Amino acid sequence: MATVEIKELHKSFGDMEILHGISFTIPDGAFVALVGPSGCGKSTILRLIAGLEEITSGEIYIGDIIINDVEPKNRNIAMVFQNYALYPHLTVAQNMGFSLKLLKKSKAEIDRAVQHTAEILGVNKLLHRLPKQLSGGQRQRVAMGRAIVRKPQVFLFDEPLSNLDAKLRVQMRAELKALHRRLATTTVYVTHDQIEAMTMADIVVVMRDGNVEQVGRPLELYDKPVNQFVAGFIGSPAMGFLPATTKVGSSEMVLSDGQVLSKPTCVALDGDYTIGLRPEHIRLGGDGASFKATIEASEQTGSETLLLARLADQEITILLRERFDTPIGDVHAFVIDPTAVQVFDSKTGARIET
Amino acid sequence: MSAKARARRTNFLLDVTLFVICILLLTPLILLIANGFKTPQEMLVWPPTLFPKDPTLENFHKVFTETPLLQWMLNSFLFALLSTVAIVATSALAGYIVGKFPFRAINIIFILFLATAIIPFEVYMIPLYFQVKALGLLNSVGGLLVGYLVMSFGIFLIRQNVIASIPDELLEAARIDGAGELWIFWYVVLPLLRGPLAALAVLAFFQAWTAFAWPIIVMTRKKSFTIEVGLANFQSAYTVDLSLLSAASAAVMVPSVLAFVLLRRNFVEGIAASGMKE
Repeated sequence: MATVEIKELHKSFGDMEILHGISFTIPDGAFVALVGPSGCGKSTILRLIAGLEEITSGEIYIGDIIINDVEPKNRNIAMVFQNYALYPHLTVAQNMGFSLKLLKKSKAEIDRAVQHTAEILGVNKLLHRLPKQLSGGQRQRVAMGRAIVRKPQVFLFDEPLSNLDAKLRVQMRAELKALHRRLATTTVYVTHDQIEAMTMADIVVVMRDGNVEQVGRPLELYDKPVNQFVAGFIGSPAMGFLPATTKVGSSEMVLSDGQVLSKPTCVALDGDYTIGLRPEHIRLGGDGASFKATIEASEQTGSETLLLARLADQEITILLRERFDTPIGDVHAFVIDPTAVQVFDSKTGARIET
Repeated sequence: MSAKARARRTNFLLDVTLFVICILLLTPLILLIANGFKTPQEMLVWPPTLFPKDPTLENFHKVFTETPLLQWMLNSFLFALLSTVAIVATSALAGYIVGKFPFRAINIIFILFLATAIIPFEVYMIPLYFQVKALGLLNSVGGLLVGYLVMSFGIFLIRQNVIASIPDELLEAARIDGAGELWIFWYVVLPLLRGPLAALAVLAFFQAWTAFAWPIIVMTRKKSFTIEVGLANFQSAYTVDLSLLSAASAAVMVPSVLAFVLLRRNFVEGIAASGMKE
């Protein structure tokens, strides 16, 4: 086990700079998720840690050692790929024992390690099968087994669950988390799915366009996003954003259609802002309603109702934890707790602590 | 007419057409084999008989005793075998490298490989002959092999298969697992290329087995002829002794037909693999 430290990491492919000076530290034994839209550079970071790409500038430490020029095989890492990358011509047992064989371990030792790992993952009945004879979930387990069997210092996961169906993904998420609790190996997990990041990681690194936007615990990102991008990216369904203005001394945010949201903590603010409303913070309102919105679409899932509504010429999402049957086009009143309204600088997107 | 009946009629017409084509293709072959068993008199009968009236083994006996037919077949076999081994080895290695290490220099080399395919062999056959002669390799398997060690189509075929069927992640996984590049080539890449390499082997073998122009200029001694050259030799040495030539040809076909029957699947795969494989 080891800490992983990334310092001022730059990566260019030709003239294109993909990473613009990334720095963060992954504590020993932590489960860290790198999350961001596609093309943000998260997979590149993983490949740089693995040694599959050359570092343009900056440093990566595993433990106390700079590994910039260390061969992948000497970094003591294991990687699980999105398409599993199992050797198609080798059996499950041979796949899992591959790295140990290369380390010239004895056959008995390899068998023991493979057997032990297979039991942890529940694939010990499949050891003699070829990858093509396995289901997606089984392949996923074997790919993890291949990583675990060599007891690496760091696990690297590159979107390992994205080829599974939704139900299996939820199940594997729990298994992965349990596995991490059991092995306590430092883990770097790349995903574009913020739910995976939120549910599994100890620390989430949110990235955009080759920069780190925020590093923090999952709920910290949810409650105190540093900017509008993180606020919009974390949380599902996503936060709705509305332009609003206020004056010094006023405790109200005025929307573009003249509706007013009370925000007592914004008295010091003055000018144009963007406010953010989380769908799950909005409730149906009675007399003390905060705002009125026109329903444009409604989805009932049984336990919840998801409404797409128009407010001040912007679309917002409203998530009600109850059944609510409404014709499209109706106008309804809603309430939001003023403390749950987030305020962002309309130019820089930075969140303003109020 | 119902759709079913129409489909049946179409199928029937297709069957008839294919059957006729099949007969047209097979007739000369049957005629050739039949000719091998005919007496010189019957050879000249018009119209030719499809089955000999008075079959004789005399032609085969003469061919095997009066010409070194077996030696020629052996020469061809050795030549084809060595050529196949060389082509499979060079294609596997070069195809893998141009498929998976797309550096600029390697791409240029690959284009050069392809360029050799558009220059007909006949264009450089004569200069190559003088080089082989200067090396003192005339009348040797070595000289024969000079033009048959590398096949640009083979490199292309393997490259396409490498790109289509060996994902980068597999190689990366092996590198992380601790494998060196040669190890990866031998234990990961080669086993996965077994199918295309077998197809290529069949193609390469038959290319050498049926080679004619190059062997006829490199092999000048009767003993060192390949089978194709030997067969052509019947025409001058025996003023086209048709029954002997037929008997020799029929005898030569036996190993080819055997090989085809045994390797039919690979053969078809090799022909079908025009590089557009999924």
